[in-house]
Amino acid sequence: MTTTQVQIPAEKLVDPVIVEIIRNGLFAVTEEMKTNLMRTAYNLIIYEALDFTVGLFTREGDTVSIGLGLPMFIRGMSETVKSKIRHFGYKNIGPGDILVTNDAYTTGSHLNHFTFTMPVFHEGELIGFTCCMAHWLDVGGSLGQITTDIYSEGIQIPIVKYQTAGKVNQDLLDIIAMNVRMPERALGDLRAQITAITTGERRFTELVQRYGNREVQASIQQIMDQSEAVARQNTVSIPDGTYEAESFMDDDGLEIGKRIPIRVKVIVKGDEMTVDLSDVSKQVKGFYNSGFTTGIACAQVAYKCLTTPTDYPVNDGSFRSLKVIMPMGTVISAERPYPMRVWMTFPMTVIDTIFKALAPAIPDRSIAGHHADLVFPNIHGISPEDGRLFIVGIGPLGGGWGAKSREDGVSVTVCINDGDTHNSPTEQLEAKYPVLVESYKIREDSGGAGEYRGGLGAEMIVQALSPFSVTTRIDRMHCKPWGLEGGGEAAGNGIAIRRKTGWQTDLPNAKIFNVRLERGDAYKMLSGGGGGFGNPLKRDAAKVAEDVREGYVSRQAAEELYGVVLDDNFQVKLSETGKLRASSRA
Amino acid sequence: MTKLNNSLRIAVDIGGTFTDLACFDEATGNISFGKALSTHGQLVNGIQNTLDGAGVDLTNGYLFLHGSTIVINTLLERSGAKTALLITEGFRDIYEIGRVNRPDAYNLFFSKHVPLVPRSLRFEVSERLRADGSLHKPLDEKAVRELARELKSQQVEAVAVLLLHSYRNPEHERRVKAILQEEIPGAFVTASHELSQEYREFERVSTAVANSYVGPRVSEYLGELEQHLGDKGFKGDFYAVQSTGGLFPVEHARRDCVRMLESGPAAGVIGAQAICAQLGMPDSIAFDMGGTTAKAGVISEGRPLTTGSALIGGYEKALPIQIPMMDIFEVGTGGGSIARLELGNSLRVGPRSAGSMPGPVCYGRGGTEPTVTDANLILGRLDEHNFLGGEMPLYLDRATRAMEEKIAKPLGLDATRAADGILRIAVTQMSHAVKAVTTERGLDAGSFTMVVYGGAGPLHASAIARELGIRKVLIPHAPGYFSAYGMLFSDLRYDYVRSVFRHLDGLSFDEIEAIYKEMEDEGRAAIGASQIRPDELVFERAGDMRYVGQEHAVTVDLPHEFFIEGDRAAIKTHFDEVHKIRYGTSAPKESADIVSLRVTVLGRMKKPPRNTVEKGSEQPDGTALRAHKPVYFRSADQFVSSAVYKRELLKSGNVFTGPALVEEHASTTVVQLGDTVTVDLYGNLQISIGSDRT
Repeated sequence: MTTTQVQIPAEKLVDPVIVEIIRNGLFAVTEEMKTNLMRTAYNLIIYEALDFTVGLFTREGDTVSIGLGLPMFIRGMSETVKSKIRHFGYKNIGPGDILVTNDAYTTGSHLNHFTFTMPVFHEGELIGFTCCMAHWLDVGGSLGQITTDIYSEGIQIPIVKYQTAGKVNQDLLDIIAMNVRMPERALGDLRAQITAITTGERRFTELVQRYGNREVQASIQQIMDQSEAVARQNTVSIPDGTYEAESFMDDDGLEIGKRIPIRVKVIVKGDEMTVDLSDVSKQVKGFYNSGFTTGIACAQVAYKCLTTPTDYPVNDGSFRSLKVIMPMGTVISAERPYPMRVWMTFPMTVIDTIFKALAPAIPDRSIAGHHADLVFPNIHGISPEDGRLFIVGIGPLGGGWGAKSREDGVSVTVCINDGDTHNSPTEQLEAKYPVLVESYKIREDSGGAGEYRGGLGAEMIVQALSPFSVTTRIDRMHCKPWGLEGGGEAAGNGIAIRRKTGWQTDLPNAKIFNVRLERGDAYKMLSGGGGGFGNPLKRDAAKVAEDVREGYVSRQAAEELYGVVLDDNFQVKLSETGKLRASSRA
Repeated sequence: MTKLNNSLRIAVDIGGTFTDLACFDEATGNISFGKALSTHGQLVNGIQNTLDGAGVDLTNGYLFLHGSTIVINTLLERSGAKTALLITEGFRDIYEIGRVNRPDAYNLFFSKHVPLVPRSLRFEVSERLRADGSLHKPLDEKAVRELARELKSQQVEAVAVLLLHSYRNPEHERRVKAILQEEIPGAFVTASHELSQEYREFERVSTAVANSYVGPRVSEYLGELEQHLGDKGFKGDFYAVQSTGGLFPVEHARRDCVRMLESGPAAGVIGAQAICAQLGMPDSIAFDMGGTTAKAGVISEGRPLTTGSALIGGYEKALPIQIPMMDIFEVGTGGGSIARLELGNSLRVGPRSAGSMPGPVCYGRGGTEPTVTDANLILGRLDEHNFLGGEMPLYLDRATRAMEEKIAKPLGLDATRAADGILRIAVTQMSHAVKAVTTERGLDAGSFTMVVYGGAGPLHASAIARELGIRKVLIPHAPGYFSAYGMLFSDLRYDYVRSVFRHLDGLSFDEIEAIYKEMEDEGRAAIGASQIRPDELVFERAGDMRYVGQEHAVTVDLPHEFFIEGDRAAIKTHFDEVHKIRYGTSAPKESADIVSLRVTVLGRMKKPPRNTVEKGSEQPDGTALRAHKPVYFRSADQFVSSAVYKRELLKSGNVFTGPALVEEHASTTVVQLGDTVTVDLYGNLQISIGSDRT
């Protein structure tokens, strides 16, 4: 990205060949953990939505390599490993142990995130940990309703041992099984997670046996130093200064229409960045809170995107030049017993707002606002096939991403909370659940106008073939994805319901809880687009013409927003366009 | 027409750089080889050049077998036909939407796949089926006909059709295709169910579109080639190689073009399978290294492992193709892979490649960045004056200078150690490809023999084997022609898959048997319709199974006996075992589903016999020893005087130990200290890997 080279001191250098070999090896370990988890998991949220994270950690619990999964869990995993170390102490962690918790205030997320950790021993010495978090479909608690404290969100497992010296804690399994709605699925996912961490433990051990623990540990330190060097170098190139921005969330699901402020401040000085999140809203009554580790992750994800986006393996060296200021008790550093079930939604907008703050400093590296929500429904009902309860989260829908200084935004792609997350194939859904997907399409004109256009959102209509209840917890209907440098805002997210009497489209927000649909009723989900970048009147008229021909932009928008007039064959009418653009500028 | 007049089985493989030929003469038992540069744009000329160079007379041919990169190149270069897509109402955009994933999760400058058909050429068809194949909304045939006329007026050359749930009920797709063919007689039309009867609409639509997109070009090319062969007096049959390594008649290849996607690499695995069968080795790894990539496949219990899909064009932006194919794992490491220093002085190798232009620095064609090939030259493993039989000089001084400037000095190393470091990194990267198809599938790589081919493979075979604890490496005769050679051993092959979604507990064996029978009958008819009479027909059954509640399925062989006896327990136990091997866990108490049924129908062809080489003494002849030269080996941490043998003068029974090099026209085998090479009856180099690991 830039030319100045930050050097690592010579005395810290390890054989660069070994370092590269270990780097490839570590990456391969977490990739295999990821594959094994996905391939053996029981619920769609893991195998398609990839709502999980696997990783390797140092003896101290620092991140060595993370397999994504969830980009937002970049911090939660390491902090959970560290909490487990603190809880038991090194002397009480032995070979064949597996430590577990789903404590929301430890992981920083919700109770669905069961997190298993296995110590790795080499010649009797503890040398690191493997860890796997995965989203369980159901952990008990209220089904489909909004919650106002953690106790109504399901079973809470403090930090305990799932397995001691190879022996499984059957009592714990029995307690879990009795507290979740579909124990066979939950325990299937549990088995998949154990497969992942034991695979990681085996492969990491092989790596150490092959190259020696000293070399592996020294290489890990050097890999982190290299990531740090890259991060610092790409921070130096940001002009020093204090940058601020503001946005808001629609509401907390209880006090409809009461906006929740998101204010961030970024201070860049030399090769260090400080993200101050003190003015992010206080924790809220509805279930949109997340824990301290997620608040830190907001800053780290934004920082990684801007400084070390393609540096692998993902490791903690990248964050040594980042400081975060954040008090406890904000909506992204919530405390017991504030409810956490929809932990993932607000932090995405915090990240978007950090990009917004830094846009004036580094317009060529920043990005306009995106749809910033998973845009998926939770559905439950009784299956007409076997008379049993089914629970399914369909999606995510994917939505628009912001434009950049020289590129259009990407259309219908998953939001920043998620990474290699897949949507649900219609043919798969219809084979498993009593639903009929009527349509899944791109929303015309949903991208923000700009010299570079924002990406487009999508819409999906799903009909009930037998009655079911639907819940959506979608935000960013009112806080629309913003443009940068004169670019326009995009369409926001939304939801609508169809009954025999017709469509209801005037819902006050995009949050509905346990709305029962009868046979033939349907819901429609809409994802927003991405904001535009730069003045739309400067957009190449030929590109506008192509957008209209392909149906991404309407003729009306082409004229009103872009000042481009087209004939019936989608050719630009040059003189009319010139006049219109001139008068629009005036 | 006597047998003698058409006794040649001719195999031609078009690769990125070279067109290779292997020709088996049934009358004499001889196999001959040929190689010429591929002639892009005029592939048929390249083929004729290769035939001429090898002195093969087409009038003597009874079988012409062909693999080509034309399908993958047309996709990657985006040089296919103007294609339209017809799709179920409401789903116009799913081909563009894809799976919405963002693998490069922190990169704000990510991009997703680019469809082969623009949105303005994607049209909806009024119809709808349910997941069980039942009718939800009838097909509006009139509207389809009007649309077809519109497409014709827009000069669309190819059309793909994807209707939801066509894997359960293809009737609507059939009707739409028939209407399109009536209205646009010349168009190339693909209905998705013809290629894939598995669920997942994005993957299926992508497959159907890819087939239509490449169809006109590939079909025309195959037609031209057929014409050319005829003009040159060829009177035999023309078969193409599929991505499974199996053969199908050219008229099928002209319709199901996308099945030729990975024909060359697949044929290589077939070659490895053939060699291992002759030597009585049931388990082997087929490893192929060329200029830009290295590929690994597996033969387990005598059969190559296959898979159901592939991603074309890099994971982040991939277009999926859902057809049966050889399970090959590829890494971006090859002879041309460029070594470079990244921020913080970390040393990286590949995936960027210098290709053939400008090529490695030592080619002297303007390359400035050191590559794996340059490293091999610096370490004495390639020869300045003896590369490609001396046809192409290499420039050691330039390679050394580039290595020093770009890599060695910044790292405080000398050129030798930098070169050695690059090879070690390349070797571990390639070892990950082998692990991906063995260890990660629950197979013990150490117990496999690794068959190594491709121009650059034998240079690194011993080092890769050491990395994985593999004890035996086999370098076949003519490793640089191996894909063409493998084709001579291919069988006729048809693969069928049907998604069924059945719980094993309530399975109706009659129903399943009927579906299998239907697929087997289709295969029998397809093979029966071809000109060739195979020696025998083989039917292999398998099923994709999962535990109830899981999504991803594992393919398990389901022998006929299980069904004759209706033995649910045996099927379940078998699945538990496969799951346990693959993932390390199983759940014997949980019940299972059968997601899809698979049938492979093979028409076994007569195999060429293996040619033996002349018998010699244990000590290689003096003439076979070309020279002694210094070669760097890390285990000695210095250049060591090494014997250099000419491969063509080695005889069966020769035994020698490392350090040594074996040179042949398009390849060099490195024998490390501690390795022992035995030349077997057929001229293969069988290397017993020494115990040191570096």
